[in-house]
Order: sequence, then structure tokens, then C-alpha cells
Amino acid sequence: MASRAVAVRPPSRFHTIWRSTTRFARTWPYLVPALVFFIGWQLWPIVRALWISFTNFSFLLDDSPESAKWIGLENYVNALQDPLVREGLLNAAIFTAIFLPGMVFLPMVTAVLVDRVRNQKLATTYRLILLIPAMIPGPLIFILWVWMYSNGIGPINYVLVDVLGVYDLTNQPTWLGSTNTTFISLALMEWWWGLGFHTMFYLAGLSTIPKELYESARVDGASEWRIFWKITFARLRPILLVLVVLRFGTAYALIDEYILTGGFDRSKPTYTWTVYMWDTAFQVGDQNRGYAAAIGWIGTIGMLAVVLWLFYAFRNKD
Amino acid sequence: MATRVETESIAATRRRPARRRVRVPWSSIAKHGILLFFCLIILFPLFWVFLLSIKSLPDAYTNHIWPNDFDFSSYRTALTAIDTLPQNIKNSVVLTLATMLITTTVAVLAGYALVHLPTPGKGIVLAILVGSLFVPSRVTGLISIWEIQDRLGLINSTWGLLLPYQTLALAVSVFIMRGVFQTIPRELAESARVDGAGSFMILRRIMIPLVRNGVIVVLITNFIAAWGEWLLANTLTNDQEQRTLTVVMASANAGFGQWLWPTMAAMYVVAILPGLIAFIVVQRWYMRGLQEGALKG
Repeated sequence: MASRAVAVRPPSRFHTIWRSTTRFARTWPYLVPALVFFIGWQLWPIVRALWISFTNFSFLLDDSPESAKWIGLENYVNALQDPLVREGLLNAAIFTAIFLPGMVFLPMVTAVLVDRVRNQKLATTYRLILLIPAMIPGPLIFILWVWMYSNGIGPINYVLVDVLGVYDLTNQPTWLGSTNTTFISLALMEWWWGLGFHTMFYLAGLSTIPKELYESARVDGASEWRIFWKITFARLRPILLVLVVLRFGTAYALIDEYILTGGFDRSKPTYTWTVYMWDTAFQVGDQNRGYAAAIGWIGTIGMLAVVLWLFYAFRNKD
Repeated sequence: MATRVETESIAATRRRPARRRVRVPWSSIAKHGILLFFCLIILFPLFWVFLLSIKSLPDAYTNHIWPNDFDFSSYRTALTAIDTLPQNIKNSVVLTLATMLITTTVAVLAGYALVHLPTPGKGIVLAILVGSLFVPSRVTGLISIWEIQDRLGLINSTWGLLLPYQTLALAVSVFIMRGVFQTIPRELAESARVDGAGSFMILRRIMIPLVRNGVIVVLITNFIAAWGEWLLANTLTNDQEQRTLTVVMASANAGFGQWLWPTMAAMYVVAILPGLIAFIVVQRWYMRGLQEGALKG
């Protein structure tokens, strides 16, 4: 009886505070180093950019955002009427729509095929070869593919013109140069880059499917096609959704590939909102960083809206 | 030998039981056909750029994929044609190594605190880290990163890049480490704690050896992020001596007046080679790290 009474008695207020303080002091030192970098160079900059977006801070005219004038929503009003912003947002959306299906479904097919390879040495070899592009940093990939697509040196047009003779020098495709083919060319490049890495995600998912499921489905006489949809695809669906959301995020805010392949040419579809933002902030005119920050935040809000919608659309319906 | 046994034992757990039915040959042919096709597509551009780097000039301009004359001197030209290049390579190496080391260390510490310690507020920290994946902070925050670096007097400084570089893959690294730490049973840490080991001792003596493969994955992830980083380095540095290999390569690509194709290709091979060699060396642990939960995090 006595022991129960002790247990029920609430600990003193001082004791509770002391306990949570020491727990804090014993655990947070492990988190602080990561959080310093995360908050200092990732979280704070974007919050700060929001503040700058309400000023008319131009780098060449003002010393600091504080000395610039607070102009409220003016940058946003102007940006939303700016055809370059509108086209930039639209072009980013078009590219995302071209890019996403190949980026999530090609690796799924590849993973299902690799998973069915019985010879283990062969399966490992496939994985390793497919992963090679993932070991090359993005910007270097883009440099390589600018050469691949080039009319002068590029092997793609060499094969099409000189070997196969499908085109001649006057009508050969100018992959990254022409408006019609730019995005599909960039998407092919991204698929080449991401195929192996995304395949690994699906392979990790496939390895968790119990083999008995397939066995019993086969015993029940289900067709292979039905087994694929009802078991394999159903089990891979969560991974598919995660990849859709993650890759949407990267695709809509791409900037390196656009600048490295298209430069700052305003007539090109690669002049999306991100490139326009960079151009405005660091290159043209008075380097109007207030306006650039507003463009950045319009893109960010648009992206967050779609991500939230995706989460809503993919919510667990069970 | 050890390699084979280990890969086979992983493989054995994943392998489907052999089917009784004899396989229809055409589906097997189609399967391997498609995979081989993908592998060839993957390998072709790399093979092409390597061949380009050892082509003689006339062969490079006539575009034949297999050259008539080989010329290996492009590698020497590549390393001497830009006088800042040794400095640029050094910048890239130092920045990349430091980023790998720092980000991996802080990610291991954070992952440990998020899984195996009774950290107050871990839910909030995790939510903010997840949220950061869906915000294009790299692009939108660039203006303020410039401002921060400017206040610290670190514009046009190679070493200054080290600070923003830590965030390149930080959130992802913490997730990977969290996923890997989750595969370690809590009882292991508990029993060590009962024996009187402090939390850092547990991390160093018990956890680190067990999450080795995950650490390899994080190291490689940060290597790729830092070695090829272009946007920040291009925005925050101006002088050619302060810039990294990737930035110099990209600008040489834009105006290759002094550059000849085989030389460019040789420089490119030099730029991608460290990553490929590192991958070949650690691929066994890297693959296992991915399997062990890095992808589930």
C-alpha cells in the first residue's frame, strides 16, 4: 500500500523542470550541429527572402535590405503581371509534366525486371551499371549532354545524319536549341541520370513483398498480369507516391540544367521562373533583389500548393 | 571470395523461390534484352566522352565514334591549358572532403538523437526537416545566402562556400541516418546504458560499427552533392582562382575559345573519375547500406 501511495504522489514542480532540463542538456548537443547549418543556411535564408520580397531592395542602389523602402505587396502585384514570370511558371510546369512520368515509371519497370533476374551475378552487374550515372554530379551530367546533343560534335546527330541518314545537315534536329524539342531532350537527360537511383528505391520495396503472396496467387490461378497489378504494383504504390512528390519538388525548381543548357536567353523555354529570379537578382539592371525574392516566393508558394494537393490526392483512402 | 559470399547471402534472402513451371524463353529474352538496352544507353555517353578524350584532333572533328588515331596527350594539355586549374582542382577536393566529413558527422549525431535518445521535440525537428524537402530553399534562399556570406566577408572565398555547402544534402543525410539507426534494436542501447555507458560511448562503441554501411551511403551522397555543386559556387565566387573545378568546366564549356574538344573531354574524364573510382571501391557497402534502410528512411 505504501509503495503505491509513493508512486501516485505527483513529483514536485522543481523536480519535473530539473528532469526535463537535464534531458534537454543531454540530448540536444547531438542535434545542435546539424540544426546550426540547417537553420543558418537553409531555413533562415528563405524566411529572410520573404522579408526582402516586401522591399524594393536593389543591390546596386541600396546598402542593405534595411535601407531599402518597404513597399508591401507591390513586388508581388508587379510579378504576377510580368509575362516573364507567367511564362516562367508555365514552362516549369510543362517541363515537370514531361519529366515526372518517365522519372517514376521507367525505374519501376526496370526494378521489376531486375528483380526477376535469377542469376545473382548478372543482377548485381545490372544494378551497378544502372547506378553509374548517379555517381556523377548533376552539373557535370548537363555539360556532357550539351555535347551529346550538339550539332557539331554530338554523337546523336552523327548517328542520325552520317550513319543512318535519317536527316541531313540542313534539317537535323537541334535538340536543345529548338523550342519544341528542348524539354523532351532535357527530360531524356534527367531520365538517363535518375534511372538507376530510382530503380534502387523500387528494388528496396520489392524485397519486402513476401514470396508467399505470389505463391498463393498462382495457386489460385491468377494471371501474371493480375498478379503484377494486385500484388507488385499495389505494394510499390507508396514508393511511387513518395517519388512523385519528391521529384515534383526538384523538377519544378530546377535551375542548374536550365542555365547550363540554355543560358540567359529569354526567348528560350528554359528561361523559367528560377532562371529569371537569378538573372534579376545577380545580373540585370540594378540587381533588384526585392523583386527577385518575390519571384522566388511566388514559385515557392505555387510549389507548396501543388505538394499539399498531391498529399491530399494520395492520402490513404483506406 | 568474401564479396561473393556476402552478395549471395543478401541476394538469397531476396530471391523468389524457383518456379516449378519451365520458363517461357521469350519473356526471359525480352527481360534481358530490355535491361541490356538500358545498360548500353547508360554506358554509351561515358564511353563516347572517354573515346573523345583520346582521339586525335582530326578524328574529333570528323566525328567518327571509333578514332583512326589515338592521341593521349590531351590529358596533359587539359591539366596545363588553364593555369588556375591545379588550384581549382585543389579547391574542389578540399571543399568536397570537408563537406563530406562535416555533414556526415552532424547527420550521424542528429540521426542518433532522433532515434535512440529521449530527445525532447524530436517530432518538430523531424517535421521541419521533412518540410524542407518540399521547399525550393536552394533557389529562393539564394539571395539571402549571398547576403549572409557578404556580412561574414565570405563572398569570393572558397572556404566561405563550406558553410552553405553543409546544407546541400543535410536533410537527406539525416533521414538516411535515421532510417539506418531505426534498424538497430533499442535493447542494444538499453543494455549498454544499464551497464553504465554514456550516450556518446554507446554511439561510438556500439552504434557506429553497426551503421557503417549507412555512413558510406551518406558520404557518397555528400560527395556527389559537393563535388558537382555549381549554383552556389558560381554565384558566390568571382575570381577564377577561388572557383571550383565544376564551375571552371562549365564556363569553359560556354566559351571554349582556347579549348579543343579532346582537351575538354579529357578534363571531363578527370572531373568524373574520382566519383566513379570511389563508387567501384565502396559499392559493396554502398549497396548494402541502401538495402539496410537508407531508402526506407
